[in-house]
Amino acid sequence: MRVVIADDTALLRQGLARLLTEAGVEVCGEAADGEELLGLVERERPEVAVVDIRMPPTHTDEGLVAAAEIRTRYPKVGVLVLSQYVDAEYALRLVDGDSTRCGYLLKDRVTNAGELVGALERISAGEVVVDRELVDGLLDRRRESDPLAELTDREREVLRLMAEGLTDRGIAERLWVTPKTVETHVRHILRKLDIPSGTAHNRRVHAVLAQLRA
Amino acid sequence: MTFWRNGVRTPAWWAAAILGVALFSFDIAGYVRGGTTDWKTVFFLVTMAIALVTGLGVWAWRPQTHMGPLIYWWPALTVAGDLMVAYPRSRTAATLGLGLYTMGLIVFAQMSLSYSNGKLVSEYPRKSLVGRAAWFYIFIGGYAAQVIQNLYNLAVVDGRGCPYCFPTQERSWLYIGKAPFSLDWWNRGWGIEILVVLPIGLAVTWLKFARQPPGGRRTFLPIAVGGTIATFFGATVLYFIVVADQAALGSVSSYSWIQTAGQLGAALAVFVGLLIVRRARGPIGNLVVELRRAGPGGVRPALARAIGDPSLELALWLPERGVWADESGVEMSLPEGRDRAVTYIGDDLAALVHDPVFLHQPALLEAVGSAARFALENERLQAELRAQLAELRESRARIVRAGDEERRRLERDLHDGAQQRLLGIGMALQLLQTARDGDREQLLAETEVEVQAALAELRELARGIHPAVLTDHGLGPAVRTLAERSPVPVDVGASDERLPGEVETAVYFIVAEALANVAKHAHASRASVSVARENGIVRVEVSDDGVGGAALDGGTGLRGLADRAGALDGTLEVVSAPGAGTRVLVVIPCAS
Repeated sequence: MRVVIADDTALLRQGLARLLTEAGVEVCGEAADGEELLGLVERERPEVAVVDIRMPPTHTDEGLVAAAEIRTRYPKVGVLVLSQYVDAEYALRLVDGDSTRCGYLLKDRVTNAGELVGALERISAGEVVVDRELVDGLLDRRRESDPLAELTDREREVLRLMAEGLTDRGIAERLWVTPKTVETHVRHILRKLDIPSGTAHNRRVHAVLAQLRA
Repeated sequence: MTFWRNGVRTPAWWAAAILGVALFSFDIAGYVRGGTTDWKTVFFLVTMAIALVTGLGVWAWRPQTHMGPLIYWWPALTVAGDLMVAYPRSRTAATLGLGLYTMGLIVFAQMSLSYSNGKLVSEYPRKSLVGRAAWFYIFIGGYAAQVIQNLYNLAVVDGRGCPYCFPTQERSWLYIGKAPFSLDWWNRGWGIEILVVLPIGLAVTWLKFARQPPGGRRTFLPIAVGGTIATFFGATVLYFIVVADQAALGSVSSYSWIQTAGQLGAALAVFVGLLIVRRARGPIGNLVVELRRAGPGGVRPALARAIGDPSLELALWLPERGVWADESGVEMSLPEGRDRAVTYIGDDLAALVHDPVFLHQPALLEAVGSAARFALENERLQAELRAQLAELRESRARIVRAGDEERRRLERDLHDGAQQRLLGIGMALQLLQTARDGDREQLLAETEVEVQAALAELRELARGIHPAVLTDHGLGPAVRTLAERSPVPVDVGASDERLPGEVETAVYFIVAEALANVAKHAHASRASVSVARENGIVRVEVSDDGVGGAALDGGTGLRGLADRAGALDGTLEVVSAPGAGTRVLVVIPCAS
């Protein structure tokens, strides 16, 4: 798999490149800011761009801006945004829209090469990836009228994986059940959460996240 | 009669009053004895009586101006001159008439132009064109020319031979003999002189009118109009003297009531103006009532109404700040120059900024000032409070902003500093698991460096949030630590005495920022810090020998320091002349 990396901290950029290379990923370029990244993507057409959310000049959400740009211009290139913020607002902005192939992971994940590579593979396979810590945070929120209270423990587990962006097949593999069982769970969950079923994968992730956040 | 009681009557006033009554009595007696009772004469006498009473009234009630005598002498001289009409066969009356008759008109002109403070066109500077023109008009074209004319008439007029030429049919006691040259020609010369100066008088009158304040215009308008009518009538008479024959003059003279009417208008205007001045106590009475009811900010409108100047501004002296401020506490400066006038009330209490024409009514301004004194004290207190409140609000907003900015900076520092390094360390540990021996050593060394750097950054950050040495050991040691870290050598004079926590924190950050400024901006070779507590006050001074020129609002964070001091009721002062170093002086109250 071919990826490019954008991070304004050279130390982290190089560390990440080394880590991914060791894990068998081909790092075909590094960029220090959004503009450089777009040039790089234009040249290299990687499968996935790994983008730090904070880059010059404002050090806030340049990564998201660059991600949106990449997805408009190069729909085939996936984007994995690495972020310091455990905040659903940023994830929702990324997952918004029609395109799939995107991921929002906490930057902490760079210390686990296996997890990182797994996310990259899922993204290049056209899935959406949302950090589990963010999903946990949303699930653990206290709500006044909690639609989640109606869910069984198993359904909660399925919901968590749905929010993380897994497909039905992915959930089935993770939980060691048949895809059929997962489909049933998903149908129940969507009904209980008042989310229309049959929507596209990425839209479902967005809807679930939005519902969890509401 | 309060009118009577409030007046000031000098011996001169009494003499004038007696003389006036005597002249009127003689004049009326003459008319009655002569059997001349036409309505024009009555009209004339009533007008003169009104003018006389007005003159005596103004004289008594406003003795500080020349207005009273000016008004008085106009009817007095005119009636004295009129005696020659009432007693056509008296040589004494002829002497008075020929000597004085036209003098009254000039006094009338002077009075008009001196309205309302007795000084000639005081709306204009004395040396200005208008000021000089008015002076020329009254004293040269008026009195001087008229005295010559009258002396000539006294010497040569002989009414005995010319029943229609003059009201009198006698000679004056100063009669010398027949004129050396034709009386007709002399009169023509005189007429031309008057025709030349009258337009000057008219111009000056209306220029004066243009400078009246709205209130002043109401009273001055009838005077100006009356004067203009009288002038035009005079000009018509003169026209006949100069270009037409003397016989036609007789028919013109029968219209003299027009001139009298003009004068009546002026007399009534002065009289009404006098009543307005009299009523000045009225507005001031209202003012006192109004001020008692006025809420905060209501004093200025009340004063503006009482004085009659809607443009009135109020300036209050705030002694604590040493500045002038308006009613809402906003700093203002008193105007200089001719457009606005300033009248001070009390010692360092307030000032009225008003239209300069009201300088002619010093009594009114003074009365208003003393009536409003208590309310102004109050208003000043309010303005002071409002200024403090506004300042407090601003400083509070600045403190909140500074706090936000500080938190943003911390977030940035944490995310981009320590967190990045920790992530780097995490990745290095990952790589270590699979690294070969040579790489392993290098990775370990790199990780070691990163750990040290992360620790150092966290330490700095924590110190920036709140230094432990300050909490544990107080201001003295904390300030000494700051001094040690400063790139510029710093002498510290601070005891180890503990102060209240908030004071220690404030002083610490003030000193820290001030020393940072010294390092960044001052180009100093030495700096010193002293912190001392005495009499419940902490005094802090940070000074350097650098380039100076620092200002509270110069964007060096000094304003934020001032806010920190202000939050504890303290003050911060910056003394920093260019080239003379900078001293930051902080005083914070701090009870033991």
